[in-house]
Amino acid sequence: MNKDKIFKLAKGFRGRAKNCIRIARERVEKALQYSYRDRRNKKRDMRSLWIQRINAGTRLHGVNYGNFMHGLMKENIQLNRKVLSEISMHEPHSFKALVDISRTAFPGNKSSVVPPRKEGLSIVL
Amino acid sequence: MALLCGSTSVKFPSSSAKSSISCPKNGSAKSSFVGFQVALSKSCSWTSLAANSRRNFQVRSQDLSVVPLDERWMFEESEVNGPDIWNKTWYPKAADHVNTDKPWYIVDATDKILGRLASTIAIHIRGKNLATYTPSVDMGAFVIVVNADKVAVSGKKRTQKLYRRHSGRPGGMKVETFAQLQQRIPERIIEHAVRGMLPKGRLGRKLFNHLKVYKGSDHPHEAQKPTELPIRDKRIQMTR
Repeated sequence: MNKDKIFKLAKGFRGRAKNCIRIARERVEKALQYSYRDRRNKKRDMRSLWIQRINAGTRLHGVNYGNFMHGLMKENIQLNRKVLSEISMHEPHSFKALVDISRTAFPGNKSSVVPPRKEGLSIVL
Repeated sequence: MALLCGSTSVKFPSSSAKSSISCPKNGSAKSSFVGFQVALSKSCSWTSLAANSRRNFQVRSQDLSVVPLDERWMFEESEVNGPDIWNKTWYPKAADHVNTDKPWYIVDATDKILGRLASTIAIHIRGKNLATYTPSVDMGAFVIVVNADKVAVSGKKRTQKLYRRHSGRPGGMKVETFAQLQQRIPERIIEHAVRGMLPKGRLGRKLFNHLKVYKGSDHPHEAQKPTELPIRDKRIQMTR
């Protein structure tokens, strides 16, 4: 790539990286590598953000994300996480209905074993 | 009159596809909340949700039927039908996180376990309890802590937990125990705990300023009308 193309891609860089070709060339190559990698990372990050938002939305109704998704899978509701997160933000009543559906389908593992309280040496003595 | 075109056009398919619990929409919805009834007295429990999803969806959509055919290409999709809220992940605008509209919470630290209290505070300051959580934006609330000198720790931490700081010069490490720091500057204990649980960076430092810790039981923020911080942790209260 010739210098003009490099400088065009180096707009907004810090210090000499936007002005001097030797430095700009390195930084632009790195920037292109990052953008390649991050086009793939963006898909992961977005899904993680949707999951965090759904988690927050369901916890407002007393259900956590894992149990919520398990209940939806059981009812064969195939809404994806993107749509679920948007529903939790923009249509809260509909989202509560979904949480209720999930809760009836999978109420949660109430029968999980509670670990015994540690009493200390006072029991033995 | 704001026309909520973006949401009404998709409201019906969404409500018919799932259950029919969504409340019927009035034509005269003057509320700026998307998906909410004006008469919130019907469902008062949603006020907390309403405060979280406060967005001004004032959509002035262009009616394409009055535009001549050869000029219709000039109008974008978003001008005609309103912003696409279902295919693009929502990102908050500046009006969605104005500091003056954020809720204020107050919590009494008397006999509460330090770490559990700090964790709950950090979650509320960061905004992770909201469905509108965004990691790059400060969506959280303000938290006031009173009676910070009465916070509790379990086990022998009162005499054994060490707080260290270094002045930067050789031999400049200063160590003090929990009890000594509580005598000297009790607010620092809770501040130290919460700061460790907030993100480290520019945004984290800004979030830390939303925590207000006081030694006694009065605080100067009565004008902000703080409400009780909702705590879901059952083991946060120190039982003697």
